[in-house]
Amino acid sequence: MRWLAALLLAATLAACSTPRQDLFVVLPNPDGSAGAVTVEDGKNSVLLDKPYAASEVRGGTAAPVAVDAGQVQQIFGSAIAARPILPAHFRLYFISDSDTLTPASQQQYQDVFADIKRRPVYEVEVIGHTDTLGDKTYNQQLSLRRAQAIRERLVKDGLTGASISVAGRGQLDLAVKTADQVSEPRNRRVEITVR
Amino acid sequence: MALTFCLRGAAFAFAAALIAAPAFADGSQVAQVKTASGAASVMRDGKASAVKPGDALYEKDTLQTGADGSIGITFTDDSVLSLGPNSEAALSQYNFDSSNFKGTMLTDLRKGTASMVSGDIARSSPSAMKVRTPTATLAVRGTSFAIQVGQ
Repeated sequence: MRWLAALLLAATLAACSTPRQDLFVVLPNPDGSAGAVTVEDGKNSVLLDKPYAASEVRGGTAAPVAVDAGQVQQIFGSAIAARPILPAHFRLYFISDSDTLTPASQQQYQDVFADIKRRPVYEVEVIGHTDTLGDKTYNQQLSLRRAQAIRERLVKDGLTGASISVAGRGQLDLAVKTADQVSEPRNRRVEITVR
Repeated sequence: MALTFCLRGAAFAFAAALIAAPAFADGSQVAQVKTASGAASVMRDGKASAVKPGDALYEKDTLQTGADGSIGITFTDDSVLSLGPNSEAALSQYNFDSSNFKGTMLTDLRKGTASMVSGDIARSSPSAMKVRTPTATLAVRGTSFAIQVGQ
């Protein structure tokens, strides 16, 4: 028994005295969801699937290791501080057969504008959509008009047009699946990505 | 079981690469610099130049920071990468099809510290988003994580 303990101790010491080559740590997700990473060293695979789960590589071998929030801050503080504001997604809805926002979306437009405005540099994508009521070709044009209307408003409010791209998807990407010729308020929308 | 999983993952990655290949063949922008401080530069076609917020980044670019440097970028799939001081990371492979949210990306962290938040590519298949260090490879499934290479 004693020799086994000695052997384990020797092995542990040997592992620790070999310089650490890599350290991998799962961080708490900004949105609260749980994800995972797998570390492969060519022989072993270590699954890290909760916040602060960590693995290190010594002598070419990956193994789990314990780290806490304080160590993460000490080692990764600068990298984490340099993290950009995370992308955001919005949907604004329109009155039927028009590029005018619904009253509720008029309000929410302000949130979109404020989110873009707080970013030192930004890229905005506005993609317009329609419901299935009416002609497909007409809807393609209507969806683009919706996207352009939002872009024009953002530019009028002081944002840089060159950083705002628009596209129209007509009735191709329905948020709510419906049959053809169905009026559906949730499909009359633009989807906005802010990065 | 593990082998089946690997084969399936590889098949997915291969298929995704085939599907999305035309999306980056024209050398389009893959990310934008959002934060930069101290010594922060990009190595492109063998030439290093300082970066500032707003600069476009392309596949094969290598980001470098000095002793007082840091840099943060956002990819077109919503993934986010930031580097601490004395770090180097190459955007070795990147392709993303924004119409179906599928793609693959491989980032090589050669030294220093990095933090990442995964985006759409990591959601498209379990092996679509990878980060490689000189000794190991990290496969990412929808999460936020940090890596240090060396000490």
